[in-house]
Amino acid sequence: MTNDLNIQPWRRTSLFRKLQVLLAIVVPLPLVMLIALLAGLDLTMSFITIFVPVQLLAAGAVGYFSYGRRGVGDAALIVITTFLSMFVLILLFSVLWSVVSEGFKALSPQFIYQNNKYVEPTTSLEYGGVGHAILGTLLLVLLTTIVAVPLGFAMAIYLTQSQSKARNMVRTFTQAISGLPSVVSGLFILAIIEATGIGRSGITGAMALFPLMLPTVARVAEESLKLVPVDLRYAALALGSPNYRAFFRVILPAAKTGLLTAVLLGLARIVGETAPLILTLNPNSSTNLNPFDGGLMALPTYVYNYLASYYDTSQARAWGASLVLLVLVAILFGSARIIGRQKSSKSKGKK
Amino acid sequence: MKKKVAELENSGRRKLASGPLSRGDKWFFRSTSIAAYFSFFLVALILAFLFNQALPVLQSQGMGFILGSEWLPEKEPMVLQLAPMLWGSLVIAFIGVTIATPMSISLAYLIQFMLPKRLAKIATTLVDLLAALPSVILGLWGLIVFTPVAAGWGEILNRYLGFIPIFAVEDTENAFRSSPWIAGWIVAVMIVPIITSVSREIFSQIDRDLINGALALGGSKLSTFRRVILPTASSGVIGGVLLGLGRALGETVAIFYVLNLTMKINWYKLLESEGGAVASWILARFGEASPAEKQGLMAAGLVLFVITLLVNFLANVIVNRAQPWRKNA
Repeated sequence: MTNDLNIQPWRRTSLFRKLQVLLAIVVPLPLVMLIALLAGLDLTMSFITIFVPVQLLAAGAVGYFSYGRRGVGDAALIVITTFLSMFVLILLFSVLWSVVSEGFKALSPQFIYQNNKYVEPTTSLEYGGVGHAILGTLLLVLLTTIVAVPLGFAMAIYLTQSQSKARNMVRTFTQAISGLPSVVSGLFILAIIEATGIGRSGITGAMALFPLMLPTVARVAEESLKLVPVDLRYAALALGSPNYRAFFRVILPAAKTGLLTAVLLGLARIVGETAPLILTLNPNSSTNLNPFDGGLMALPTYVYNYLASYYDTSQARAWGASLVLLVLVAILFGSARIIGRQKSSKSKGKK
Repeated sequence: MKKKVAELENSGRRKLASGPLSRGDKWFFRSTSIAAYFSFFLVALILAFLFNQALPVLQSQGMGFILGSEWLPEKEPMVLQLAPMLWGSLVIAFIGVTIATPMSISLAYLIQFMLPKRLAKIATTLVDLLAALPSVILGLWGLIVFTPVAAGWGEILNRYLGFIPIFAVEDTENAFRSSPWIAGWIVAVMIVPIITSVSREIFSQIDRDLINGALALGGSKLSTFRRVILPTASSGVIGGVLLGLGRALGETVAIFYVLNLTMKINWYKLLESEGGAVASWILARFGEASPAEKQGLMAAGLVLFVITLLVNFLANVIVNRAQPWRKNA
């Protein structure tokens, strides 16, 4: 074999070589599955122990025929990175698939709107649902958003609009808060409860979510404000506008969608938080919309509570609530994506 | 200032003034800087409240709190010691990082250098979706779906590599499930998105000329990856790994489901069904804790917070240094 592809990499690859590559990609998988089936081996294990070496061998051989020795290393790189990445995606799809398939078993209209007032762990799935938990989650998230979003935006404004020297420090501390373990956030509010004697209610739950949402909102908002060309601001200032007007009339409209994305990503961050809510909320199986008094159930704590008991119906409820929660996250996340994409395509059009 | 401005305006000369002039601007900057300083305030507040609650326990237990391994809240005087949980957290975070790092670097490389643009976008979305999965869902999945699978992997590791101390088990009947090994995997799934997104960001900022130059000099893809891309990106990737480590140390609910928490230090036996994690321990004990024990849990939270704070500070310093273009532009 000559290594003419090394000498003249621009040459067209011959059909024969393309065929080789195709074979190296397609053949190993069925081959290994056949071997595993015939020998009666465990499929996932044989995938790792047999498939990867076989695939490496096949790709390495093709690489060697086409490029000589260096082709072997490249083939190994491609096979290993692809394999490891696929592994992550398989894990992700396994999570999604099990939540969707198991969750659907529990799902029914009354599961969405009923609460769990008279439900025992063994009550059949025809009664009771997550209605109160959905409302509770929405209430908590709303309360947190009302405080965290303006504050996060103000931080982002400070980081992008002012010339203060303290900006790097502020940024560092915001990043430090974003690494705050969620359970510590719950403990913090618990410490406040113990120190001041206020009762556990929806407000304390929202307070525990607040330190988790704030840094996400601030960071994403900062990124989106940074995307606004600084010339726009300078132009407004040069025309004699004060800074605050330049911000509200020029920069804010330009960064609107980005700021919306910041809110949505912040929501997606806290909607599934469990540990802080377990520490700061009293569970409640009936609907409660008063954030200042009484227990409150959120979707994550609902999952947590029902998973604690090992009855089949309880687990089914946990899966069902997980599915509802996942849908909620997906809606938030998806709309953040769509809005983000609109923005980027628009800015491309402008250029 | 106002006077000065009026003076300048009256004199007919124009001069550059630094700092806000109008009242509106002053309020604008004042209110935003108050919000910004709130971040210092919040960190201080968290530390102060936790410390306030934790102080009695820290005083009565002394260094034993983080070095000893007994948790006897009923005993007189109370003994609260955290070492097995602290060590367990470190072990699990370490397993998680070890598993997640190669996967994340592969994913970042795949997205940045191998996939066509459209597929790369889809892959990025999927990774971000993985980051958005609530940990309680991962815990549920880990407990019911993943535990049997990973326990099977553990069994195979034990059968063929059991001579290595970390894969050894004493009793194959009661091992594998609820082990640090499985908790490490769950944590790995959680931190893959963090390390991936940081690595990808760093990869995307590497000068393309550098890579093309290496290829033009006759380098292969592998040698370019090993000799050019990895060294250039290494500090950023390490920062990303540390960010993941910080997250892994603080993971609570998912580990709570998949790990058997025991107050006995499991030094290195990854496949035994005993381990620890500070955050999960807080959750596990909280329900039936007496007020005094709750203070012990606050102290545990304080220790956890200080550790994650240090790890995160270090990580952010490294990541920021690796991305000088992110500084105040």
